[in-house]
Formats: sequence, structure tokens, C-alpha cells
Amino acid sequence: MSFLEIFQYTRQDSVVHRLDPRAKLFMSIVLATVSLLFLSIIPLMIIFCCLVPIIGAAKSLRRWLRSMKGLSILLVFIIIFNTLLSTQPNPFSHSLALTLRLVTLMTSFSVFFLTVHPDELSQALIQMRVRFEFAFAMSMAMRYVPTLGQEAYAIMDAQKARGVELDKGSLLKRIRNIVPIIVPLIIVSIRRALSIAESMESRGFGASEKRTYMNVLRFKKRDWAVVIISLLVLVLVVYLRLFVTLPSWLLWQLEI
Amino acid sequence: MILLEDVYFAYDGLYTALQGVSLQIDDGERIAIMGSNGAGKTTLVKHLNGLLRPDSGRVILDGVDTKHYSVAELAREIGLVMQNPDHQLFLESVEREILFSLENLGYSKEEAKPRCEETLSNLGLEGFSERSPFTLSGGERKRVALASVLATEPRVLSLDEPTIGQDARQKKNLAGMLAELNQKGKTVIVVTHDIEFVIENFPRTITMANGRIVADGPTNSVLSNNDVIERCSLTRPQLTETARHLHNVFPEVPERLTLMDDLEEVVVKVLGGV
Repeated sequence: MSFLEIFQYTRQDSVVHRLDPRAKLFMSIVLATVSLLFLSIIPLMIIFCCLVPIIGAAKSLRRWLRSMKGLSILLVFIIIFNTLLSTQPNPFSHSLALTLRLVTLMTSFSVFFLTVHPDELSQALIQMRVRFEFAFAMSMAMRYVPTLGQEAYAIMDAQKARGVELDKGSLLKRIRNIVPIIVPLIIVSIRRALSIAESMESRGFGASEKRTYMNVLRFKKRDWAVVIISLLVLVLVVYLRLFVTLPSWLLWQLEI
Repeated sequence: MILLEDVYFAYDGLYTALQGVSLQIDDGERIAIMGSNGAGKTTLVKHLNGLLRPDSGRVILDGVDTKHYSVAELAREIGLVMQNPDHQLFLESVEREILFSLENLGYSKEEAKPRCEETLSNLGLEGFSERSPFTLSGGERKRVALASVLATEPRVLSLDEPTIGQDARQKKNLAGMLAELNQKGKTVIVVTHDIEFVIENFPRTITMANGRIVADGPTNSVLSNNDVIERCSLTRPQLTETARHLHNVFPEVPERLTLMDDLEEVVVKVLGGV
């Protein structure tokens, strides 16, 4: 599951990390929208080439490369199956473009998730007028993903110690072996949720109507710059896509 | 016999949890492992049944390096009960839960059933066999988890923090059951912070700090050693403390005592007979 790493926050000190999460969210959405507007190889390559420096600026190129390596098998599968099952005139070219689009989409959002701390995210949501309870629930959910992973390993250990052979036997047996892992995982999670809820209430969660916040996000010049540039890009690309006949080299396809 | 030879282990290759642990555990011993938080106690017992494998060094069971065995194979010989019972309970009844372990290790139905009942009654769980483990209290769940491994009667039994959440009676039941298994020749290893439980039940104590063994020897001498207590951040046994205070007044009372009988004897002597 190493490809999920690009959606996991990493503590770094970079230009991208310091941007306001709202500006980054807008940028990511614009990048993703632009990727969705095209389904030919050349424009997607151009978008891809714009994304790489952004990831580089976030000092996360290595991590991103590792995730892409983890993803490569899936990508190859997508290409093969799409090529075989496609009804398009140039199936290979089409599925290549599709895969490229998937990569650019994932990378666009990874810029956001790689560089935004869960706390920042919830603060951003709150300042975007999402109710505190919902924002908090969301950041808690993100916070507990790695914990859940650790828990799963601890449970596997506990069951192995009882003689469960997790990595042996037929496929059916292996599937059945998930039960001793998944049931405790769910129970432990529910128990923890209840106890977290209790301890939060004991600490005065929701006690006063008006909450104060330690860190309040403020838009700086560079954040405005990012938003304005993103907006310009979006307007330009939408205009190009809808009102201009694109030159044929841009829509070039492989003949297979 | 289990032999650990200069075992090193680091989580994720970074955080060194064991730094050269060497240890010999003979058959039929009763051993307590104590030490500060993060000293490597749990890491150590997880090496016994192969859940963790040493980065360097060897863990040898009866002359064979355990790297040749899978965890499931080792589980037949070496039972391990982990700290959190919720990590292993998943079936709909206490009885099924205990039978599950026995089935894993290949016990027949005729053999498994009486074993299950006996274990349940030994741990004060009679009448619980049809209950769902999830409706039980924390202490009860802990005992079910214990029972699920105790029932398999492994040759070596290691328990990680078995006394947490147990009242005095349950602790006594547990101690009784461990003693009984020990009588049958089983090795019992316990990781715990409960110093009184150790003094009363375990002749040998190993204390750890920072991934190293600090002291390994007879419980009485290890736990009455001030230096060891300090370094492994253990609670001083009350009896040792009492002896120390008495020593200040009556120099003939030895400073290092852990057993009630010994203390009684010297006090009687100091008082000039009964």
C-alpha cells in the first residue's frame, strides 16, 4: 500500500508547506479540474510537467516517486485492460491518456494532502464555515488512520501467538483468516471511539457556544498570489477548451 | 531450554529496543521480567515465540535456532498472552474463544472440552462460557484472553502484564494456576510492574532498562537491591522499606529483605524471642 504515502502528511519545511491550506486546496482543485478537461496525451503531459516542480518545491519528490513505483503495477493493469476492452478508435493511446489523467489527478491532490497537517485542515474547514464538530471529526478520522494500522499489526501478532497461521493455506482459508483480525479491529475501534467521546466530554467538548482557536489562519500575499494564478489558469484553460479549436498537434494520438 | 544470545532488535531499524540481551531460561522455571516503561520487556517476550526476530544474535529453543520455525509452530511450545485482551477476542462466546486456540493447535474435541472447562473454573470464569466476550468487563476479558492460552498448556507460558485490572482474589487465582502449571513442569514467564506479585510467586527476576538486562538472579536479592530498583524505576517493596527503617534503629536487622517470614524471624530475634 506504499502508494497511499502520497496522501499522507509529511513534516517538512518548504514553500508549499507554508502556504495557507485554503490556497492549496484551491490550487489542487484547479489542477484536478484542468486534468479532467483533457483526455489526450500532450495536454496531460504538460499538466504533469507543471505538477512535478510543485512536488519538488514541497521537497517530496522522492516520496512521490516511491508511491508512483508502488502504483505502477496498478497503472500497467489499467493500461492493459483498457486497451483490451476499449471501444475507442485508438485503444492504446486512449488508455495511456486515461492512466496519465489518473496520475495527474492523484498528484494534484497529493500536493494538498502531503503538505497539510490534519490540524491545519480542520482549522481551514472551520474558517470556511464548516461546523467545528464536523471538522474535528474529520481531522480525528485522519489522525487515527495510522493508529488503526498499528492496531491491526498488534492484533495479527496476538492471533499468531494463538497459533493462527495467517500466511499459509488455501486462498479460502486465508480469506477466512481475516475474521480473527477484522473483528477485534472493529471492536477495539468502537471501544476507543466511545472512550474518546467520554474523555472529550469530560474535558468540556462543546461546553461553550463560542470556541477560541490557538492558531487562526491568515491569508498572506503569497497565498493570494497562488489563488490568483490558479484562477487565471483555470479561466484560461476553460476558455481554450470551450471556445478555441485546439491545434491538431495538441490532440495527437498514437495510432494504436 | 531457551537461550538468547546477544540479541539486538530495533523497531523500523531505528529505535533500538534490545541492545545485546543474553539470557538462559531453563525448563520449569518461574521468571518475572520487570523494568521501566520502554525498557524492552514486551519486545523481549515477543522474541521468544518468533513474533519478532532478532536483528542480530540468536534465540535458541532446545538447541535449534528459532528462525527455522514459524510463529504458529512456536505457538505450540511457547504461549504468549499479550497485554490487550481486545486484540485477540473475536468469537461469539467465551467457550468458542478458548476452543479456538485449542483447535488451532490441533486438539481433539474430547480433549479440548474438559480443558476449556477446567481453565474457566480455575480463572473464576465458570458460568461465563456462553457469554459473549464483548459484554464482559475489562478484568474479565483479560482473564478470557489468559484462559485462551492457558488452556493449551504450552511448555513455556509467557504473560505480558497479566495482573492489570485484577483484584486480589483474581490475582491469587492466577498465581495458583501458574503454580499448578509450573508443578507440571511448565516454564512460566511474566512481564509485570506488580512487585508484590513477583515477590510472592517468582523465584527468579530479570530487570531491564534501556534495552539491556540490568539484573538477573534470585528475586530476593534482585528486588532488595537499591541500585537495581533505582535504575529500573521499580517501586520499592514495602517489606524492604520496612526492613531498612528497622535497620536504622536495630542494626542487627539486615537491610535487604523481601520476605515476610524472614522479617518476622529477625523481628522476633530482636525482641528476644516470642
